[in-house]
Amino acid sequence: MIDQALINKINSVLAEEFEVDVEKIVPEAPLMQTLDLDSLDLVDMVVLIEHNFGFTVVAKDFVGIKTFNDFYHFINNRLNETGAPK
Amino acid sequence: MRQGHPNDWSGKSRGGVAGYLVFVFFIRKLGLRAAYVLLAFVALYFIPFSPSTTRAVWFYSRKILGKSRLSSVIFLYTNYFNLGVALIDKTAASSGLYDNFTFQFDEPRDVSDILAGNSGALIIGAHFGNWEVGAPYFGKYGKKMNVVMIDAEYRNIKSLLEKQNKLSAFSVIPVSEDSIDHVFMIKDAISRGEYVAMQGDRLTQKGKSYESHFMGRRASFPLGPFVLASRTEAPVIFYFAIREGFKRYKFVFRLFRPEESVRRRGGEVNVLNAYIKELESAVRTAPEQWYNFYKFWL
Repeated sequence: MIDQALINKINSVLAEEFEVDVEKIVPEAPLMQTLDLDSLDLVDMVVLIEHNFGFTVVAKDFVGIKTFNDFYHFINNRLNETGAPK
Repeated sequence: MRQGHPNDWSGKSRGGVAGYLVFVFFIRKLGLRAAYVLLAFVALYFIPFSPSTTRAVWFYSRKILGKSRLSSVIFLYTNYFNLGVALIDKTAASSGLYDNFTFQFDEPRDVSDILAGNSGALIIGAHFGNWEVGAPYFGKYGKKMNVVMIDAEYRNIKSLLEKQNKLSAFSVIPVSEDSIDHVFMIKDAISRGEYVAMQGDRLTQKGKSYESHFMGRRASFPLGPFVLASRTEAPVIFYFAIREGFKRYKFVFRLFRPEESVRRRGGEVNVLNAYIKELESAVRTAPEQWYNFYKFWL
């Protein structure tokens, strides 16, 4: 179970960084299409994760992330692994 | 901002392996001057048999430099010949003849400090002059050099090196447009305190671009290198190597220190504009050494 506060924080930083309406960010929505991301935007995604959640991202982290729900689980799991504050 | 265009560079540079090896033979056995003499004939061949390149150079001469038809014919040949000289010189420099060349440095003190320091650096060059002739120079600082290259170009170079049983003076970070692995390889290399070099003036088919004025006309520049430059914590150095005469080069280094406001979405345009200013200043000193042979201007 992922803390709702963490989900809200993720939604908030994604909406601000990628300039999308926060209401469009729902768990089942496709991440890349909803945020209109291409491979260059993933550079910003890496910076955003590292600055806001305090852990380092590697290429394989993005494998299998299709929806916002996948993304929430990825962030939550890595925070649990690293012990970084949520 | 736009996506790539059918006229954008395909990722492959012209020139066969066999031809390259003939020049290597000339350089090693007969010397640089003999290689230049051979080049004088080879450069002629490329004018009719490389039509898309010839069209690009003609456009550059007529529309950008404003030369007459007659001057453009001469310029066309000179441009091909100069490119050949650049390839011969870089081959010679990387084959142990580096000390035979004379180099002059336009290198502000802060650039030397950064190159000699412990941090990594992102070095952005162009298809202008002969940046690779300076690769051994970077070696003096004892840091590893990584060169970012389109995958097709990388495979070509790898094949050449394998045929010569030779190791490259630098590591290659191959860029595939369908993957983001190179972003992490660049990030990792910089965090290890290494140099990462890339070209900032060549648009690929799927890459995002930004239109700006360059040499008096609108041109499309790739955004990728500048997104990376604006987001990285490392210093950014613009670097150009200009040929000034027989075995004589001038290296120009300019430091760009991204401010915090540049390190976010949209900040890449600031880095790109600074790059364009420095590139234009360098190209105006040696317009015949511009080798971005595709439809670059709009």
